Amino acid sequence: MPMKGRYPIRRTLEYLQKGDIVFKNTVKIMTVNYNTHGELSDGARKFVFFNIPQIQYKNPWVQVMMFKNLTPSPFLKFYLDDGDQVLVDAEGKDHKDISQHVKKILGKSEEVLQAEELARMVHSNPANFGPKKYCLRECMCEVEGQVPCPGLIPLPNEMRGKYKSQMKGTEV
Amino acid sequence: MFPVVTRTATPLSNLLAPRIGVLMVAVRGRKSRSDPKAKSKVGRVKVPPPVDPAEMLVLRERFSQYDLIMRALRAEFKEDMLRRRYEEEVGSLAEERTKQEAEEHQKLMAWNDAENHRLRQLREERIRKELEQEQLRKEQVAVSREKRMEEYVKEKEQEILQLQEEAKNFITLENLDQRIEEALDNPKSYNFAVDKEGRIVKRTVQQ
Repeated sequence: MPMKGRYPIRRTLEYLQKGDIVFKNTVKIMTVNYNTHGELSDGARKFVFFNIPQIQYKNPWVQVMMFKNLTPSPFLKFYLDDGDQVLVDAEGKDHKDISQHVKKILGKSEEVLQAEELARMVHSNPANFGPKKYCLRECMCEVEGQVPCPGLIPLPNEMRGKYKSQMKGTEV
Repeated sequence: MFPVVTRTATPLSNLLAPRIGVLMVAVRGRKSRSDPKAKSKVGRVKVPPPVDPAEMLVLRERFSQYDLIMRALRAEFKEDMLRRRYEEEVGSLAEERTKQEAEEHQKLMAWNDAENHRLRQLREERIRKELEQEQLRKEQVAVSREKRMEEYVKEKEQEILQLQEEAKNFITLENLDQRIEEALDNPKSYNFAVDKEGRIVKRTVQQ
């Protein structure tokens, strides 16, 4: 059974990677209070249904909690590193409005994201050779078209110093 | 080329002895500590490989220079990286950046507060309107209820009056004899036919 749930597109990698809210490093906890019935809570419900998976995918270290039917009006609350709490009212708003609002106040801007990506590319140069954890290749023998590893396939005699020295010995 | 390091005054034996600063890892091999020596190796005396003093001198010198240079290079690069990281985190630029970020954060929080305020106003308006609607509805309900009570009372009064009217025609103990005599004097015949409109059509006479 490949498809599970009402909108299984929410579970696809493509959808999750399209999410554009990356929180700043100070945001640690995100809380959404909303109601399961009522028109005012509709935007919040859609936000939880469609956008929360994207947010959690892009911010795996932020704790996201949902509370249902506790308060009459829906809202979002963010708990920052230095103890500050940011309240965002979500009554009567559309889910797109809510996500735009959140992105504006607590999301990393485009320039910052691009700078980070650049730094990451610079840090991990694909031309480097080293341990598998940090680089793509460890030895030239792993590259296609190069001399294979002598540990698996013995080198031809012309390339072996031992053979050459033996030959030189017998000659002279 | 690289500058050569001057040698300090050291005894010759130290210079001629093989390098001992090189790391060598002890490996046990196939046998454990308690296994006896092999019979073919019982009288064996292990002799270290012969050392040519001149070659040893030259090699030692070269290796020490090489080690020095490598260590220097490593230290150089490490220092460069550490300095860069320090600049990144605790430099003049970093302080300015943090200040700017704090300012922007303040601005965004203020904007968020304004937004919340606006929504609060809307919400209060809505709640006020709902309360008014509720009040109106309650009043209407009360009025309609009163009307219904009045009508009910009126109906009941009507019934009472009608009953009073009918009570005049009741047969009581005093009227009993009189009414019996009246009934016997006026015989009534119920033998008549009625058409669809309710008019009496035929009457048979009482015998």
